[in-house]
Amino acid sequence: MERPENTPEVVVRAEALTISYGDHSAVRAVTMDVFAHQVTAIIGPSGCGKSTLLRAINRMNDFVPSASAKGRLFYRGRDVYAPDCDPVELRRRIGMVFQKPNPFPKSIFKNVSWGATINGYTGDLHELVENSLRQAALWDEVKDKLHQNALTLSGGQQQRLCIARAVSLQPDLVLMDEPCSALDPIATARIEDLIDQLKSRYTVILVTHNMQQAARVSNRTAFMYLGELIEFDSTDVIFTKPNNPRTQDYITGRFG
Amino acid sequence: MTVQFVHLLDELRRRSLRMAGLVEDIVQEACEAVLNVDEPLARRVVARDSDVDSEEVKVEHEVIRLLALYQPVGSDLRLLCTILKVNNDLERVADCAINMAERAKHLDSPTVRTHNREIRQLCTLGRQILRDAVAAYVAEDESAAWKVVTQDDTMDALYSQFIRVVIAAASREPESLASHLDILSVAKNLERIADHATNVAEDVIFLATGQIVRHQAPGKGG
Repeated sequence: MERPENTPEVVVRAEALTISYGDHSAVRAVTMDVFAHQVTAIIGPSGCGKSTLLRAINRMNDFVPSASAKGRLFYRGRDVYAPDCDPVELRRRIGMVFQKPNPFPKSIFKNVSWGATINGYTGDLHELVENSLRQAALWDEVKDKLHQNALTLSGGQQQRLCIARAVSLQPDLVLMDEPCSALDPIATARIEDLIDQLKSRYTVILVTHNMQQAARVSNRTAFMYLGELIEFDSTDVIFTKPNNPRTQDYITGRFG
Repeated sequence: MTVQFVHLLDELRRRSLRMAGLVEDIVQEACEAVLNVDEPLARRVVARDSDVDSEEVKVEHEVIRLLALYQPVGSDLRLLCTILKVNNDLERVADCAINMAERAKHLDSPTVRTHNREIRQLCTLGRQILRDAVAAYVAEDESAAWKVVTQDDTMDALYSQFIRVVIAAASREPESLASHLDILSVAKNLERIADHATNVAEDVIFLATGQIVRHQAPGKGG
């Protein structure tokens, strides 16, 4: 179907999506659209289901034996949980950055080139590594020590390296699960600047406990509570005049 | 931290409301000083200017401190922004009242008697608009604030009409031109008080709804 002019392109669509661990539903009947080239933030208290929702998108929950999904979840119009959907192929298109930087105990160069190498990349690896590190705003800091062990980098540099690793596969969508929670304010500011730059090339979904960060970097914000999507709107609306009293209570710290 | 912030925000709101009450008092006294050509009262009004000025600075400091320390969002952010803007308008209202009192020190009784009915009307309406705006601010009442916004047109019409009356009177009595200009200045300050009160009402609408309604036709957002 043709997309009407000025309608944002939908990258991820959840329709009444429920994710359960055994009998417990961590995400309950969530319906939402994530638009292309935007940063979508998901906020909410611990245990609200925001990371579970994020991990459903690239089927990381498959690694939890008791996890099951109901409802529909589409990535670029394809049902992520359809039997013919290959999760490995899905994860090539959807990069992920985790809470704690997790570089491989190998050189900076190998960290970035790893995914491309195992996927049979035939282009110029040096060019790929340089481009990826530049996109992650790390090139200038590491260009003279590409063969040094990645674990010698600072925490903030390691996280940017992980972002370089994620973008080296030229993903369409980047999922970020609390990417700054282990970083100091300066490293956090660099990652936030980077997120802002990344959205020109990629679509970003960011799970964060840091509401100010959601307010600073995202275009749209979803507030979740007890597995439900309570409110999902433009970030300006969520942080100035949310419509739901529970959102208001959460963002102003009056929750519970 | 949140309990502390809620307490500090509440304290600041009360302080802003106390300032609104102080400014209302000053306007009332300025009107009395004009209508009764009461020079001693006019001097007392002028002396109260520094109270408002110092309170304005204290409120502004506290708003900035709370913004810097707590980075509020949602209704807390709207309240702090509203307090900051209302604070500015209240100080300007007090300035207008002080200007009226300054004129009252030199007013000529016969001229005031000539225009007593019109000046009284302007004083009554100016004070009423201010009182209604402050009441809307106290209650954070959007519909009451919209009523204030619509009243401003009545004030503008009354003021325009008064200008014509004063021009006619001054052309009949050119020897008392200075007195007529004084009385016109009083009226101009009352009209400005109503304008600032209207700004306060518009800020109350922002506080309640998150909508910025300045420069819109009245009733659009109501």
